[in-house]
Amino acid sequence: MKHVRARVLLVGVGGLGCPAALALARSDIAGLGLCDDDRVEQTNLHRQILFRAADVGIPKLEAAVLALREIRPDLPVYSHPTRLLPDNAVALVREYDVVLEGSDNFATKFLAADACALAGVPIVHASAVRWIGTALAVGVRGRPCYRCLFEDVPKGDSPNCAEAGVMGPVAGVVAAAQVDLALALVSGQPVGGQLVTFDGWHDVFRRRTVVRRDDCTLCGRTPRIQSIEPVAYASHACAG
Amino acid sequence: METIVRIPTPLRTLTGGADEVTATGGTVSEVIEDLEKRHPGIRERLLDDKGVRRFVNIYVGEEDVRFLDGLKTALKPGDQISIVPAIAGG
Repeated sequence: MKHVRARVLLVGVGGLGCPAALALARSDIAGLGLCDDDRVEQTNLHRQILFRAADVGIPKLEAAVLALREIRPDLPVYSHPTRLLPDNAVALVREYDVVLEGSDNFATKFLAADACALAGVPIVHASAVRWIGTALAVGVRGRPCYRCLFEDVPKGDSPNCAEAGVMGPVAGVVAAAQVDLALALVSGQPVGGQLVTFDGWHDVFRRRTVVRRDDCTLCGRTPRIQSIEPVAYASHACAG
Repeated sequence: METIVRIPTPLRTLTGGADEVTATGGTVSEVIEDLEKRHPGIRERLLDDKGVRRFVNIYVGEEDVRFLDGLKTALKPGDQISIVPAIAGG
């Protein structure tokens, strides 16, 4: 196993990004990028464990940088106070060795997937809703990918999680799995295509291997996605 | 043949909150038809006119049915079906 001191980008500093940042800050990484433009809200505090009550109302990145500095003063932390957007995504992910995507909406998930594939950067996607969470590792070759699993941005017929909420401990467990997968990817471990699901109600982990789809629009035999087209990422937001 | 089907959180409103139900059938398609009889509305959440909805993955054991024989995938005694929907939250 090779040892790489990676530069790691977190897309979304929320229920997943916060515990992931804490785990990464204690790891032997070269730097940590944070991409988010939200402010801390009272309702975040049960699962966004970088933040304290006194942080409510201030930008998440401002609070996160201060919290991480207390834990690991020597770790370079790079703030990107923006959402991941079609016009910044590829350039942003290209600055890093691996991306951890923990956003709360499908449009950003697909955008991150496409940007990383186009930039040749490995990514670990993660989501958590109520008692269940998933993490999917996509290797540097970009296949199999998030689109092999879920194909395209939902347009209203996906399961509605807008009012579901997220159990804090579930987000923490899934974020830990996400960090494990990311560190394995940059160490050269063959975890690309591994899909980890966690059922927090029964405390059961399941691990499956996603198979590349030949007709995948991103990583199939004749991929149609060759660039980032903003219209492709219009979607309904789904709060976490 | 009865098969255990693991129901994800977003679909449990259709199963009275149950996270695991049983249904009868020799193939995935037959099990879904039986699920629909027992839990009306669930088929529409899993399938559209092209087959398995693109935001849902149906597994038999550890294998996605898309990479087996699709909805015609034959079930063996002891097989479990699990449903993994796309979720976004964190």
